[in-house]
Amino acid sequence: MQTLVDAIVYSSLLSMMGFGLTLVRRTTGVWNVAQAGLVTIGAYSVFTGVRFLGGVPYIYLPIAFLISAAVNALLFWVFINPLRRRGSSFFVLLVATIAFNIVLNGLINIYTDFLQNAYSLSSKNFLFTRLDPSILDQSAILFVSLFGLILLTGILFFFLNFTRIGLALRGSIEDPTLSKVMGVKVNRIYLLSWAIAGGTAGFAGALLPMRFQCNPGIGGSLIAIMFSVSILGGVGEIYGPFLGGWLVGFAQIYGISLFSQAFGPWVLPYKKLLPMIILVLALLFTPQGLSGIDWSNKVGSLSKGGKD
Amino acid sequence: MHQLTLFITDLIALLGIYLIITFSLRLQLGYAGIANFGLVLAFTGGAYTVGWLPIRLGMWFFGVNSGLSSDMIWNNAIIISKINPQLESQPLVAVAVFLLTLISACVVGALLGFISGYPAARLRGDYLAIALLALGEVLGIIGGNFQPLVGGPLGVQVPDVWNWVGDLRFIVVSLLIFFLSLVVWVYMRFLEKSPMSRALRAVRDNRDAASSLGKAVPSVRLRTLMVGGVMCSIAGALYAFYTTGVTAGAYGMFDWTFLPWVMAIFGGVHSNWGVLLGTTIFVLVRKLITFYKYSLGFLPFSPIWLQYLLTGGVVLAILMIKPSGLITEKPSYAINKKTLQNIADRVLNNSSS
Repeated sequence: MQTLVDAIVYSSLLSMMGFGLTLVRRTTGVWNVAQAGLVTIGAYSVFTGVRFLGGVPYIYLPIAFLISAAVNALLFWVFINPLRRRGSSFFVLLVATIAFNIVLNGLINIYTDFLQNAYSLSSKNFLFTRLDPSILDQSAILFVSLFGLILLTGILFFFLNFTRIGLALRGSIEDPTLSKVMGVKVNRIYLLSWAIAGGTAGFAGALLPMRFQCNPGIGGSLIAIMFSVSILGGVGEIYGPFLGGWLVGFAQIYGISLFSQAFGPWVLPYKKLLPMIILVLALLFTPQGLSGIDWSNKVGSLSKGGKD
Repeated sequence: MHQLTLFITDLIALLGIYLIITFSLRLQLGYAGIANFGLVLAFTGGAYTVGWLPIRLGMWFFGVNSGLSSDMIWNNAIIISKINPQLESQPLVAVAVFLLTLISACVVGALLGFISGYPAARLRGDYLAIALLALGEVLGIIGGNFQPLVGGPLGVQVPDVWNWVGDLRFIVVSLLIFFLSLVVWVYMRFLEKSPMSRALRAVRDNRDAASSLGKAVPSVRLRTLMVGGVMCSIAGALYAFYTTGVTAGAYGMFDWTFLPWVMAIFGGVHSNWGVLLGTTIFVLVRKLITFYKYSLGFLPFSPIWLQYLLTGGVVLAILMIKPSGLITEKPSYAINKKTLQNIADRVLNNSSS
């Protein structure tokens, strides 16, 4: 049962993190490595709130969302957007996000060092499982992560299909030139997509300490997995990462226990390799991702997808 | 004075090692346009080779009690203590062990370049970069868990093949590493003038045109990744020999992939001089920060993180201000400039007369 809870929480959080990657890749063509730092920022926003103000960790979720959203928007507006306008190649943009992530990494570590030295807080390693209230004999995180994901998907669906800005966002993704002609301020819409992506990453990061041990490198240790989620799900489709997150999450947690039953417990430490194997297989066999495969005669698709 | 000598020897050694890696990136990114974010993979491969091979070579050659080989990791320190004096008294054997290991590291590097490159060379642009980025730490995970390889998280000691030099050991090793990096630099200079460099640039700038002229693009890219892998692997092997120890967790993404990237991008990845300049500046700054770490003790955080802020900040600044780096790409002529000028003059004279 605990394994199932782990798998559900983990998969939901992975879906959210992968969603951020997919969204900005889809809107602006950038793989945002700084997503790693944003997840960590989310976790430390909650840490700061709980340690200084107390209370149930969940009340700090909106703050975590806003801070990460602001940081990602800053990255886009100050660095990525000017670079894109100049027509920089993909690796320049990728290097920019990596460099930004290195700066974030430095800042987060300075902050945690400071908390440790000035307030004697054990900021380098923390877990909030004990602060998690229980609902129906289960930790609340199970429901929060699951409903958080469903809510996110719901809001996104509503936003993309029924609001003017949402439609503009979809339009800017599908056909930027036409959107510009129609009077959509494409750059602002892109900025919005970066903010949403960053916020989602921060939100997922804020939920991490409820179930998993957190440290200043937590986001960095998950970045390869986020890429697997995003690529396996397919960047052609905004809802791809939800599929990818559940596949990767369950594969990692259940796959490894299957392997350990088959080959013995020595395989357990290698579970970190699983997402990379999945990533390589996905890149080899379905580089456009699962949602990019043409299911159109079976399932109605939101967008064309699979162009990449 | 003694401290200064240590500072300079370490600086030279690190400069040599980083130069080999940044030249590898210069080859892969600068010439062939392959954004290899997995430099650390081959580097780790080279280091692991040094953790695994020389101790076995030494045991075999000197006939060290084979009972010890039942658990190479547990008995590591004892075996080393038996091999090191022997290596010290027989410099020729020591050098042979060093060279054999270096050659093996080359093979390992080429193999890793092939394995990571075979699927990857077929991918385009950013997918390739992401695949290499994700694959970068695979060896780190394997080495950290599979104890027999290099002792897992505790690591292993490496036989010291330079002990016979005596007191000057560190200086000699540093100079040797630097010399090897100069060899790589000479190779890069010859490459710059060769048709090969123009073929690589063609593959980089227009793969369709290159393949229409008979260049097998995936094969060229795969070979570039392999040569790049060999270079990184040599750097890893030299680093492991220099520190005389191999620990699985010690080869991180920041130090051995991102930092070389920063150096190359800063100096200009399309120019040999640029790469040299960028690498020198960053190795020096990094060394200075570590050196003055204790003078910065008044800060409420570890000064190591300043290096992160500096590194990231400098890259963002250079990308915004001068994305091509400090020194930009120069055209490579099939014949040297003077001959070209003479021909041009002759043609112009003929047409005017």
